[in-house]
Amino acid sequence: MKFIVNLAFKNLFRHKRRTLITSIAIAVGLALFILIDSMLVGIEEDSTRNLVLYETGSARIMDTQFWEEHQNLPLSHSIENPQPLLQNLDAAGIKAAPRTVFSGELIMKKDPYPEDGSIQARITAVDPVRDPEVFRIAESVSKGRFLKEDRLEVVLGAWLAEDIGAEVGYPLTIVTRTKGGFFQTIDVDIVGLANTPNPVVNRTGIFMPLETADYYLQMEGSVTQIDTNLPYQGKINEQTDKIRSTALKNRPELIVVDWKTLGKDFVALAATKSASSKVILFLVFIIAAVGISNTMLMSVYERVREIGMLRALGMRRHEIRLAFLIEAGGIGLIGASAGVLIGALLNIPLVNTGIDYSALMRDADMGYRITGIMRGLWSVRTILTAFFTGVFLSVLTAFIPTRKALRMHITDALRFQ
Amino acid sequence: MRRKSMIQINKVKKTYQSGETRVQALRGVDLEIKNGEFLSIAGPSGSGKTTLLNLIGCLDTADEGTILIDNLDIAEKSRKELALLRREKIGFVFQSFNLIPVLTAFENAAFPLSLLGISEQEIEDRTMGILKEVGLEEMAHRKPAELSGGQQQRVAIARALIKGPEIVLADEPTANLDSKTGQDILELMEELNTRHNTTFIFSTHDQMVMEFAHRLVQLHDGKIHSDQLTARAPDKNTVGSRG
Repeated sequence: MKFIVNLAFKNLFRHKRRTLITSIAIAVGLALFILIDSMLVGIEEDSTRNLVLYETGSARIMDTQFWEEHQNLPLSHSIENPQPLLQNLDAAGIKAAPRTVFSGELIMKKDPYPEDGSIQARITAVDPVRDPEVFRIAESVSKGRFLKEDRLEVVLGAWLAEDIGAEVGYPLTIVTRTKGGFFQTIDVDIVGLANTPNPVVNRTGIFMPLETADYYLQMEGSVTQIDTNLPYQGKINEQTDKIRSTALKNRPELIVVDWKTLGKDFVALAATKSASSKVILFLVFIIAAVGISNTMLMSVYERVREIGMLRALGMRRHEIRLAFLIEAGGIGLIGASAGVLIGALLNIPLVNTGIDYSALMRDADMGYRITGIMRGLWSVRTILTAFFTGVFLSVLTAFIPTRKALRMHITDALRFQ
Repeated sequence: MRRKSMIQINKVKKTYQSGETRVQALRGVDLEIKNGEFLSIAGPSGSGKTTLLNLIGCLDTADEGTILIDNLDIAEKSRKELALLRREKIGFVFQSFNLIPVLTAFENAAFPLSLLGISEQEIEDRTMGILKEVGLEEMAHRKPAELSGGQQQRVAIARALIKGPEIVLADEPTANLDSKTGQDILELMEELNTRHNTTFIFSTHDQMVMEFAHRLVQLHDGKIHSDQLTARAPDKNTVGSRG
């Protein structure tokens, strides 16, 4: 066995340039895999965090009918008397924030706005005290301040403000319907602009105090949802079960929906992008595999006579095959080591600094919940997968050329030109 | 003391397919070779020399007839058993040396012992011993590319002999060497034959090489044309002859 390993090792450097080029092909392929995976995982991780901390919470309690018609935001199907639910959640140590989400029309008048205009909007009424325990909108206010209870004021997403030409202190008129279906007009002032890491919030977010909405929408204390905050890396079913058992006893009309269901668009997009990226990675591996297969093919065929001699002297086919596979594995080892090293080195700035895509993300909705900096993420599992796949792939692709040469009759191999 | 019979070839025939033509390389060869003989199989190109050597060396199988090596019928052996037979009992010296270019002279010579699972110390001792016998102990750490043709062939002979085989087969061992070097190689082989009592069988169409043999078997058209001792044969009573 020692002889076989020694022979394989020495044959590695028989054609140094060829070994180097093949190793480089493997290294580049694996480094790319590590970087792309780091980027994808990092983006997904950031997006998930931003989805949960700025948009959905860990899970949401709603009236079942409201959830079924949630596209229309039917205020008539809201959670009546939410206080006992909130108390139960508090007692169980689950952070919870009541919200009322309703649709309306925002009306802007020229002066101070650049021009008259109106847009359809989705307004979220929040409890300024409880909301920061579940969401991070309050700490994302970059201009002005966050909401105070029972005031006629709003906080806008920073990109929305930019789009409509709004600044802190500008007035807005919201035209909407009450819970009973009657038209209602609410005149508010913009007191803050929120610049969050979540582009959806920045692009469409309009927040107002819950008590103000309760009065003008005639909600009589009801809310459309209660959002909760649980560790988002936890198991979803366990989380929703906990909420269900804690807060929803004797409330059969209510439903708990987890963040993955609430953020279905992002989850589906992430899956699609992940799958297509895996295809690209597969192609990268194919290219590396072709490289090493070609190298081993050349190595085997220029050593056919040598193989014949080895067999003539009594070396068995499997022993010769093992020598070639170890040689291929050696090339894979060199390439995989270099690939992991290069990938890791390039991943350092990707993780620490990231790539600034803010100019692109501002106007293009890519579906991911990140606003600008795409950062990578370290994954030991990915690095180990890349390393061992590189070595394994190298050994595997050497198998066929070796097999073919070993099938040759010894006397034919000895005469081979 | 009469030598024992090492190889018995009985009515052996061998045919090859060459494109669309069937070539009968051996047409019924009978030959007995005794232990320790220094024998040359001579003949023009296409006479069947290499084929006969391949059959004796268990690299190929006969279509008809029997070949016994040390009373073992090799036709009854599996591929694995033949490989083991070659590993333990048969050494080869090739026309173009066939050394492994990435290994040193030492490693090339030692390689057959590595296949036998012998200890490293014994491999070291035996390899240096055999390299000394062939006059290359100073060149042990050189690679084949750093050796002359004659030196490479000496390494090949060392490799063939290191395991103490019963038979060494040499297919035109001096064909790629100049006459002086070729003569040196033949003298070395003759000396090693005497010292180790290993049966040497080499094929050639070179007259000088034929004259070195102790017994000359002439092949023509796949059949033995003549088989006789030469002037260099040490003892006519202790070797087989049909001449």
